[in-house]
Amino acid sequence: MGMKAAHRIATFFKYFVLILVGLIMIYPLLWMVSATFKDNSEIFAGISLWVKNPTLEGYRNALNDFGGSINIIQAMINTYSYVIPKVIFTVVSACIAAYGFGRFDFPGKKIMFSIMLSTLFLPQVVLNVPQFLLYNSFGWINSPYYLAIWVHCAFATETYFVYQLIQFMRNVPRDLDEAASIDGCNSFQTLYKVIVPMLAPALVSCALFQFMWSCNDFMGPLLYVSTPAKYPMSLFVKLSMDGDTGFAWNRILALSLISILPQLIVFFCAQDQFVEGISAGAVKG
Amino acid sequence: MSNAISRRDFLKVTGAVGAAGLLAACGGGSSSSTAPAGPASVAEPTGDAVELSISWWGGESRHEAYQTAIAAFSEANSNITVNPTFAAWSGWEDTMSTKFAGGVAEDVCQVNWNWLYNYSGNGQTFIDLNTVSDYIDLSQWDEATLNTCVVADMLQAIPVSMTGRIFYWNMTTFNKAGITEVPTTLDDLMAAGAAFQSKLGDDYYPLHLGGYDRMIMMVFYLESIYGKDWADPATSTLNYTAEEIAEGLDFIKSLVDNHVIMPLPTYYGNNGSTAAHQSNEWITGKIAGILEWDSSASKYQDALDEENRPGFTVGEEIKFGDYNGGFTKVSMGLAITQTCQHPAEAGMLVDFLLNSEEGASIMGSECGIPASKAGLAAAEAAGAVDELVAEANSKVMAFCAFQLDPLFEHNNLKADGTGIYQEVFDTIDYDGVSGAEVVDILLDGMESVGYTINA
Repeated sequence: MGMKAAHRIATFFKYFVLILVGLIMIYPLLWMVSATFKDNSEIFAGISLWVKNPTLEGYRNALNDFGGSINIIQAMINTYSYVIPKVIFTVVSACIAAYGFGRFDFPGKKIMFSIMLSTLFLPQVVLNVPQFLLYNSFGWINSPYYLAIWVHCAFATETYFVYQLIQFMRNVPRDLDEAASIDGCNSFQTLYKVIVPMLAPALVSCALFQFMWSCNDFMGPLLYVSTPAKYPMSLFVKLSMDGDTGFAWNRILALSLISILPQLIVFFCAQDQFVEGISAGAVKG
Repeated sequence: MSNAISRRDFLKVTGAVGAAGLLAACGGGSSSSTAPAGPASVAEPTGDAVELSISWWGGESRHEAYQTAIAAFSEANSNITVNPTFAAWSGWEDTMSTKFAGGVAEDVCQVNWNWLYNYSGNGQTFIDLNTVSDYIDLSQWDEATLNTCVVADMLQAIPVSMTGRIFYWNMTTFNKAGITEVPTTLDDLMAAGAAFQSKLGDDYYPLHLGGYDRMIMMVFYLESIYGKDWADPATSTLNYTAEEIAEGLDFIKSLVDNHVIMPLPTYYGNNGSTAAHQSNEWITGKIAGILEWDSSASKYQDALDEENRPGFTVGEEIKFGDYNGGFTKVSMGLAITQTCQHPAEAGMLVDFLLNSEEGASIMGSECGIPASKAGLAAAEAAGAVDELVAEANSKVMAFCAFQLDPLFEHNNLKADGTGIYQEVFDTIDYDGVSGAEVVDILLDGMESVGYTINA
C-alpha cells in the first residue's frame, strides 16, 4: 500500500512536471492561434490567450490575391513542387554519398571527407553571390521548374545529412554487408536491400529536416523566383508586411498557421521514426 | 570477387557522375557573357513587341497599385509587356544587391536612395536618366530634388517621393495633462514634460525617442542652431566640431532629465527592442508623442487603442534656433538598369507611373506623396492621396531645409541594438555621462564608416 501510494505520487509529479513544461513549450503556438483572431492593438497589449474582440479579418484577408497574381492555394502548390523533389534528391544522394564514405576505401578519402565536412561551416550568406552567378550562367534564375533551388540536392550538397548518415551507418555491422555479398548481392544491392532498411529511421529524420528547412527557406526563393505567380508560401506570407505603413498581424499569423499545417501533419505522422532517427545517430558520436 | 568488381563499378559510376557535374559546371561558366555596356544613345521606340521587367518592395496596397498601373500602361502601349516582381522589404536589399552584382536586375527598379551610392557609385548599375529625357518629363521635379539623385555625374534615379521627420502627438493624453495645443517651441516641450509628470505620473511622457530617433533629433537641433548640413551631401565631410556635437548630445540629455522623453533603460525594461508603435506605452497613450517619417503616420495612428486614436494629431515642426532644422531625403526612387535592352520604353513606363494623369492617379500616395508636380496634381484630383500623410508631408517639405548625406543611414550607425547611434545614447542614459564624454564614440564610429572628420 505504502509503496503503491508512493509510486502514484511519483507518477503524479512526473506527469505534472511534464505537462507543465509541455504547456510552456507549446504556449507560443497556442498564442499564435489565438492571435489570429485579435487585432493589432490587442496583439501587442499582452500575451494572454483570451480574445476580447474576436475577428475573422485575418483569415478573410489571408485569401487576398495581391492583384490576382498569386493566391494562397497556388503558393502552397508552388512550395511543394520544389520541396518534394528536394527532399527525395537529398535523401537519395546523401545516402549514396554516405555509403561511399562509410563503406569504401578509395584514394583521397580522408582529404575529400575533410573538404566535405568543411563545407558544413560555410554560412549560406557567403555562398549567395557566387551561387547566384553560377546559376545565372546556367540560365536557372527564375526557372519555371525552380531548378536553382533543388537541383544541387541531387549532388549530396547537404553535408549535414551525409555526415549524419555516415555516423548512423557505423552502427550497422559490416557483417551484414558480408552476409549479403555471400548471398550474391553486389554493392548497390547491398545498399538498397540491407543498409537502407537498417537506415530507415535516419533517412526519415533527414527527409523531415529537409522538408521543414525547405518549406521555411526564404532567401532561396526570394533570390531565384521572380515571377509572382511562382512564389512559394514563405514569400507569400510576407508579401503584405510593409514596415513603413504598417500591416495587420492577424493576417500574417493566420497565413503562417495555414502554411505550417502540412508541416505539422507530416511531423506528427513521422514522429516515432523521427525521434528514433536523431537519437540513434547521436549515440555513436 | 564479384564484390570487388562491383565496388570498383560503384566508384567508377560515382566518379563519372561527379566529373560530369564538374564539366557541366565549367562549361556553363565559360559560356557566360559579360553584361552589355549601357547604351551610348538611346534607340527610339520602334513599336515592336517589347518585354520589360520592373521590381519593387512594399505592402499589399502598393503591390496592387503598381499592378493596376502596369496593366493600364500595357493597355495604352499594346506592344509593351511588363513583367513585375515584388516582395516585402525584408531581405529585398540582399536580393537586389545580388541581382545588381549578377547583372540580372529588372529593367526598372524601385530603389532606396543610398543604393545609388552603394551599388552604383561609379554609375555601373543604373543609366543616366538624362539620356531618356525625351521620354520622361524631368521638368516635373525641382532641380534641387533631382540633384539629390545625381551620383557620379549621372542622374541615376527619379525621386518618387521625398520624406522627412515630423512630430506626431497623442492629444488625448495631452488633454488629460491639461494641454490643449500641440507643442511648437522647446519651452512648450519642457512645460509638457513637467505637466505630464505632475498631473499624470512618472509613467507618462510627452515624447519618446529611440536611439536612432535621438540622433535625428540631435541633428535637427544642431541644424536649427548652426544652420548647416550635418555633413556635406557629396563628400560626407562632417560639418560640426566635437564641441558642437557635445552640445547637441547634452540637449538630448536635458530632454531626458526634464521628463520630456522616456529614459532608454525604462523603455528597454518594458519593451526590449520592440518598435515604439508596438509598445504598450504608445498603444495606451503613456508615450504621447514621436518624431517619425511623414509616411509612417497611419502606422502610428492605427496602433493606438480606441480611446487614444481620435487624439492622434500631426504636429508642427519645432524651431529650436534661428534656422529651420531637419532634413528631407528621397524616400525611394525609380531607376533604369544598365542591362535594360529597351531604355526608351522603360523611360515611358517610369513617366507613366510618375507623371501621367492615369498612372499617377492609380499610384496615389502608395509610394509616398508624389514628388512629381504633375503626379501630385493628378493623384490629388483623383482623391488617391492619404490625407494624414499629405498633411505631414506638406509640413515637412515646407519646413525642413537641410540635406542628408548618404552615410547617415549606414547600417553600422543606425542599426537597432548594435549601431553606434544607439550605443552613444545608451551610454548617456545608463551611465549618466555628459555629451563631451561620449562624443568620441560617435566620431570614431562615423569615421569607421567613411565620414571625413576635421574636428
